[in-house]
Amino acid sequence: MKLEMKKFGLILNSRPAGREAVLRVKQIANGTTDNELIFDFTGVEVLTPSFADEFFTGVKNEYKDKKIVIENYSKNTVIEDVLRGLGLI
Amino acid sequence: MDLSCKSIYNNLDDIVKGNTIDISECTFIHPWVVIYICQLLIERHTFRDKGIILPEKNETLEYLKRIHFDKALKYLGYDKECKELETKVVNERENHNVQELLYCQFRDYFNARLDRFFRMFSNFGLEENQARLVVALVGELGNNVYDHNSGNWPTDIGGCFISGQNYPKNGCMEFVIGDPGIGFLGSLKTNYPYLEDDISAIKLGLSGKTGRVDEKRGNGLKFIQNWTLNKFSGSILIHSGSGQVYVDEKGTENKIAPKITGTIIQIMLNYTG
Repeated sequence: MKLEMKKFGLILNSRPAGREAVLRVKQIANGTTDNELIFDFTGVEVLTPSFADEFFTGVKNEYKDKKIVIENYSKNTVIEDVLRGLGLI
Repeated sequence: MDLSCKSIYNNLDDIVKGNTIDISECTFIHPWVVIYICQLLIERHTFRDKGIILPEKNETLEYLKRIHFDKALKYLGYDKECKELETKVVNERENHNVQELLYCQFRDYFNARLDRFFRMFSNFGLEENQARLVVALVGELGNNVYDHNSGNWPTDIGGCFISGQNYPKNGCMEFVIGDPGIGFLGSLKTNYPYLEDDISAIKLGLSGKTGRVDEKRGNGLKFIQNWTLNKFSGSILIHSGSGQVYVDEKGTENKIAPKITGTIIQIMLNYTG
């Protein structure tokens, strides 16, 4: 199942926003039988460490049995740095 | 009197006169100093004899008007001085390299302005990825203000003041954010009770440990430091409580500074347009 991160916002910032986004993922991915969750960063301008930490920690706790795939981040230095710094890629 | 982030400390005795802040002799005012003065005004805003004596030099007064310092004065209850500054008329488009003084009382105000910062940094001449990095830097600094102080502001003034300036001839920009909060020590002491002073608390924060009680997280300041030093060959100056820490590529310097309520952080960034 693929989720477009730009639908959460183009500037993804703050822990509360990250927590809220996890709740949205639970709604969207509810009942999916796919083995992987794909997070597509096409179109996102900024990802801050706070949002990323809160979001991916929450998603991983919620979907321990699914593979988390992150794609389309390589042209954006900030997103790549944050994901790498948090050990997500 | 030129007031920069270094000279302000040598001139404090001339500036702070009880509950009156006297910057009448000031001829040049740095964004760091604007934020520092805001902190001094917040600390005194409930006193009856509070006041600020504005600069006599017209150019300095125009700069303060240009950054909308009058709005900060109004919000903090310095009505008389606010009216004095309000009468000044300046051309808003005169200097695109000056960022107006912003006050963000709540997190939502701050988040709503991040998009504007992105456009502003692009206009400063930063290439796209550099502008994104600076927005992430600013965003993370703002996050820390609210994450560590919400519900626990020491006075009835919460939120943060933001100021900035671009120096195109030198290819560098300055960004300053100040909050009248509990500071590094106030926030980290509960989770790290062995901390005894502000400098140790700031250094612990810079090492990546900024998690509050029951939080394993806290890497924001480490990211800020890495980006500032490695992507922009820049520097970070932090004054929190009575501690001051300066970090650049050469290393870290720290010293005891006059106590303030909360924290001021300055980021200096070198960029190629």
